[in-house]
Amino acid sequence: MVNKMGLIQYIFRRLLVLIPVMLGVLAITFILTRLMPGDPVAALLPHNPTPEMIAAKQHELGLDQPMIVQFFKYFGDLFTGNWGVSFAIYPNAPVWDLIQEVFPRTLDLALLAVLFSSIIGIKTGKISAVHRNKSQDTFFRGSALMGVAIPIFWMGLILQFVFAHIFPIFPGSGYRAATADDPTPITYFRVIDFIIYGRWDLLWDYILHLALPAFCLTFITIASITRQTRSSMLEVLQLDYIRTARAKGCAENVVIKKHALKNALIPTITVIGMNFAGLLGGAVLTEFTFNFYGMGMLLIMAIGQSDYFLVSGIIFVITILFVIINLVVDIIYGIVDPRIRY
Amino acid sequence: MNETNVEVNPVPEAKLEVRKSTLKRIFSWTIRNLKFMLIPMSRIKDLSARQFEFEKIKSKRNFLQRLRSPLTILGIGLIFFIVTLAVFAPWLSPYTFKQLTAFLSPAYGPMSPAHPFGTGESGRDILGRCIYGARSSLTIALPAILISVITGVIFGIIAGYYGRWIDTLIMRITDVLLAFPPLIFALVLVGAFGPKIEMIIAIYGLLGAPFYARLVRGSVLQAKELPYVEAARVMGASNWRIMFRHILPNCISPVIISFSFDIGGIILGLAGLSFLGFGDQRLIEWGNDINKGRFYLYAAPWASFFPGLMIFITVLAFMLVGDGLRDAFDPRLKNL
Repeated sequence: MVNKMGLIQYIFRRLLVLIPVMLGVLAITFILTRLMPGDPVAALLPHNPTPEMIAAKQHELGLDQPMIVQFFKYFGDLFTGNWGVSFAIYPNAPVWDLIQEVFPRTLDLALLAVLFSSIIGIKTGKISAVHRNKSQDTFFRGSALMGVAIPIFWMGLILQFVFAHIFPIFPGSGYRAATADDPTPITYFRVIDFIIYGRWDLLWDYILHLALPAFCLTFITIASITRQTRSSMLEVLQLDYIRTARAKGCAENVVIKKHALKNALIPTITVIGMNFAGLLGGAVLTEFTFNFYGMGMLLIMAIGQSDYFLVSGIIFVITILFVIINLVVDIIYGIVDPRIRY
Repeated sequence: MNETNVEVNPVPEAKLEVRKSTLKRIFSWTIRNLKFMLIPMSRIKDLSARQFEFEKIKSKRNFLQRLRSPLTILGIGLIFFIVTLAVFAPWLSPYTFKQLTAFLSPAYGPMSPAHPFGTGESGRDILGRCIYGARSSLTIALPAILISVITGVIFGIIAGYYGRWIDTLIMRITDVLLAFPPLIFALVLVGAFGPKIEMIIAIYGLLGAPFYARLVRGSVLQAKELPYVEAARVMGASNWRIMFRHILPNCISPVIISFSFDIGGIILGLAGLSFLGFGDQRLIEWGNDINKGRFYLYAAPWASFFPGLMIFITVLAFMLVGDGLRDAFDPRLKNL
């Protein structure tokens, strides 16, 4: 039985702790992005502006106010969806719209990677633990170590070379074919949009474009999931109740699947959640390698051109997702494991 | 260890006192005590001098034996290889630094006896750049990790030892810093302060510190309740002395374990940063070479393959040693 009141109190307490953390995050983001060398006024105005135009633009962007006022205005605007405009990459395009367009693609990648890596990682971790120190175990542990040590962009380039050049099965870069005629987005989630429009050819094309980057991210993510599943599985297999289950005559298969794995998976949930949070923000390298135009790619372009309203918007999205996913994982942890009391 | 059980063989009288130079004496003392300086857990209870020697050899043997798995030895060998490349780069590289950063032609030439790994951007030799790349990777990674370990350990001990509002304050700061994904934080910092090598070292030093602070704080919280801390306090030791002479040596082993992992992590992060084009352009960096070479991936795969292989080898080496150290320090964790 989950103690409902305790859980609600716990969530409430965690949310209270989140407030100072998010304030700190926002302050750091604000300071760092304002330190960037970009000049929005010059970028947004036509060539040779008059002083009046500059003053008007500064007033419009709120840049004529003291820094502390700007910070609180920035803080307030985050909640109203008024996140400023991009000035270097897409002049005058609202930041919110840009993020709304690219975020679903990053989410697609992260979801695919987490889905496949959880399925495979749990399986390999289980096999590793059951056949401890045997050849399967050595193989999976070795691959897991490789997954931690391999530079993801290098692996991406090798995959590109092999599967897009030598055996041209998958497209090597981009998120859509150059000739694709995308219908007007409804939900911005390409998969859902294409299903609504019934454009199965475009859906297939999108899936092909997703394949290589998603594979890269999956490979990296499997490593940590395998390691965690293996270690917690080994821990659980030594416990008394497993011996009881075996003693009462359960088949080994049942002992492992029904008794051991269920309890061993609890710490794995944390790892999966952290990986998911990391992927939403950390797919930067993969997106850059495959020219997959998602949020990471947009962030790199924005930082490269000091487009600081855009940078602070994207960082806000990434950090808040990171923090919220960690919170949700902690709550799930409590629901799944009845031993934990709040 | 019971003192009476140990057989004390009479030492043959020292024949003739051979006078060693002071430098030699310091050197041999350093070698003999290297383990005690590096591994604080290896200190032994008070024993007679002879027993001390005996125990020292025994525990050294144990530790080394535990460290002697084939994968760890492979890791140590690879680290040795990379460090050799970094230190002796000018002698090992077939071309000088100037030639490796000059504008030559033809660009992206194939592999040949003159260029065993082919040539990259502006006809620069890839083999030479791979060798010099070890230099810049280690030059950035080692100071960065030292900064983060020192800062992290100091703040972690202070937070764990004093507790109360100091603890809350420091832990909230680490919460804030850990809420940013590391690569993105590094990107934004580089974007704000410019891609200079000293800036990048400072950034990676800052990024690692909160992690170490949490690690150390956790073990300090356990250690400060132990009797020896009380004993030290009774003896009139100051807070700082207790923290850094008594608690620190007992809390440092998790730091040493993650130290090796983290060097690998930093080198990987650094390669990612320069792959994205945010590295110091004056340096020869593996990530940077891959970034340049990826546009010619289909025509000249060697230009991005070999630098990537070097990153992979280096990171793998540090991770292998990290794995081995963890097992050697804490045999219970082995196979977990």
